[in-house]
Amino acid sequence: MSKESRMRATINQKLTEMGERERLKELLRAKLTECGWKDQMKAHCKEVIKEKGFEHVTVEDLVVEITPKGRALVPDSVKKELLHRIRAFLAQHAT
Amino acid sequence: MSPAGCSHVNGYKVDNWKQNLRVIYQCFVWSGTAETRRRKAKSCICHMCGAHLNRLHSCLYCVFFGCFTKKHIHEHAKNKRHNLAIDLLYGGIYCFVCQDYIYDKDMEQIAKEEQRKAWKLQGISFCFLSENLMLSKWGEKYTTWEPTKRELELLRHNPKRRKITTNCTIGLRGLINLGNTCFMNCIVQALTHTPLLRDFFLSDRHKCEMQSNSCLVCEMSQLFQEFYSGHRSPHIPFRLLHLVWTHARHLAGYEQQDAHEFLIAALDVLHRHCKGDTINDNGKKANNPNHCNCIIDQIFTGGLQSDVTCQVCHGVSTTIDPFWDISLDLPGSSTPFWPLSPGGDGSTVNGESHLSGSTTLTDCLRRFTRPEHLGSSAKIKCGGCHSYQESTKQLTMKKLPIVACFHLKRFEHSAKLRRKITTYVSFPLELDMTPFMASSKESRMNGQYQQTVDVLNNDNKYSLFAVVNHQGTLESGHYTSFIRQHKDQWFKCDDAIITKASIKDVLDSEGYLLFYHKQFLEYE
Repeated sequence: MSKESRMRATINQKLTEMGERERLKELLRAKLTECGWKDQMKAHCKEVIKEKGFEHVTVEDLVVEITPKGRALVPDSVKKELLHRIRAFLAQHAT
Repeated sequence: MSPAGCSHVNGYKVDNWKQNLRVIYQCFVWSGTAETRRRKAKSCICHMCGAHLNRLHSCLYCVFFGCFTKKHIHEHAKNKRHNLAIDLLYGGIYCFVCQDYIYDKDMEQIAKEEQRKAWKLQGISFCFLSENLMLSKWGEKYTTWEPTKRELELLRHNPKRRKITTNCTIGLRGLINLGNTCFMNCIVQALTHTPLLRDFFLSDRHKCEMQSNSCLVCEMSQLFQEFYSGHRSPHIPFRLLHLVWTHARHLAGYEQQDAHEFLIAALDVLHRHCKGDTINDNGKKANNPNHCNCIIDQIFTGGLQSDVTCQVCHGVSTTIDPFWDISLDLPGSSTPFWPLSPGGDGSTVNGESHLSGSTTLTDCLRRFTRPEHLGSSAKIKCGGCHSYQESTKQLTMKKLPIVACFHLKRFEHSAKLRRKITTYVSFPLELDMTPFMASSKESRMNGQYQQTVDVLNNDNKYSLFAVVNHQGTLESGHYTSFIRQHKDQWFKCDDAIITKASIKDVLDSEGYLLFYHKQFLEYE
């Protein structure tokens, strides 16, 4: 494992252990709903389902279709806020 | 994608499968306790590549974690013929034979229960900006609504449906004037169009504890039912009037009363009668009238900070008092309006340009929050100097209410005269209260004149939703109101007559009581 992925794993471990990961997930969920991202994605999903047909569409189809768009549409302000939260947390719990 | 699940789970549903599945949810999906979180942090990595991202799945038949994206779990499934796996992020069950996520009723039930348990343990009170504000305030996490058996039954027995479109007038209803009761009618219109109040009453949140039939909150609840019933004929509020006379004796009688006085009296009675609904965190009833958590306090109560600064030692004595409304002095009254004392800046606030002669709401607010020299005849005992000294007093907003009501003091009852001040005061559709906050004053005093515009902080932004106007003189006058429907439609309520109004009509009106609603709602 590269140094970066090892660092990621360590950070993730720390966040999970202290329950911060869950809190950040909730914050992210709220922010993305607030700014309309969730509604945008919902609408896109509906389009994909219409395209592929209700009977045959799989979860995988949806994941493949909306992941790139979803990632691109996250507002910078949300990214900034979460990064800030993570940095603050790490600064507080530095070993 | 069948909602009935797939037949391939039958191989799994043997022996003690339910308990095993619960353990997997508790330990690896929704870890509620510190111990399970630690275990999850250490062990939830892919057994093939060690990554923790890539949509980690756990095999349901053995202890194996694998990436979904990199197909590591797929390989395991093929090699070991273990056809079921669980998504550790969302708890969904994947069947490799069906090649999709499946929704087995029994498994879904277990998943839901385990998720609830974990939330309770973590004490997550969820913030969700919608009209579900009230539901979540009671400590439950937001979930999408699914009807219960009883609700389905009720829906079947009551087949009539009402569709709410952008132009529908549901919620609008005239009120008959029972003899100079327009002062009450206009306030009722404002209250029935306060979104949070409407949501509280329409979702049956009031649990009455009063023995007699004289609960004003119950009557309000009835009123909302009448307003949203779809009936177009005007409503006759005789029961409401009777209850008001009973509980606020000073308003009884057939002469014209002050709408502002009625508003305060009504809020006070509603607040007192809400005793059954005030539940604090421990589930106990709140007995303290000063720390009430009833719907009236949640919506209307703000905190006004008063700072008295001693001119000699510069020590500051601070008190914070609750308020339901802000009464603003107007130019043209006996007390001088201009000039502003030191501390007032002449910048444009809220997009209103200061035209000479035209007073704005913001001007009134700036005057309200300016430091005021208490003269030599009104010396305050200073705690620092231990003697009576001259001082300045300044009011600022410590805590903003969700609904801010501004009362323009148009009725002058001084020793010299009784008259109505008809000076035009322009008020905006959108209002930012930031400059009048206690925190803003503190940063100004610390030399931070340029306040960075915090895009994420929308806490102090308000939207106008109701205006109460008075026409005529002090002796004989009439109250009407403008209320907002569906974001940008305005209606004029003149007792029993409701007519469509333009935004210009609203903003050009004189304005007596102005009701503003916070644009963004957050949890504490």
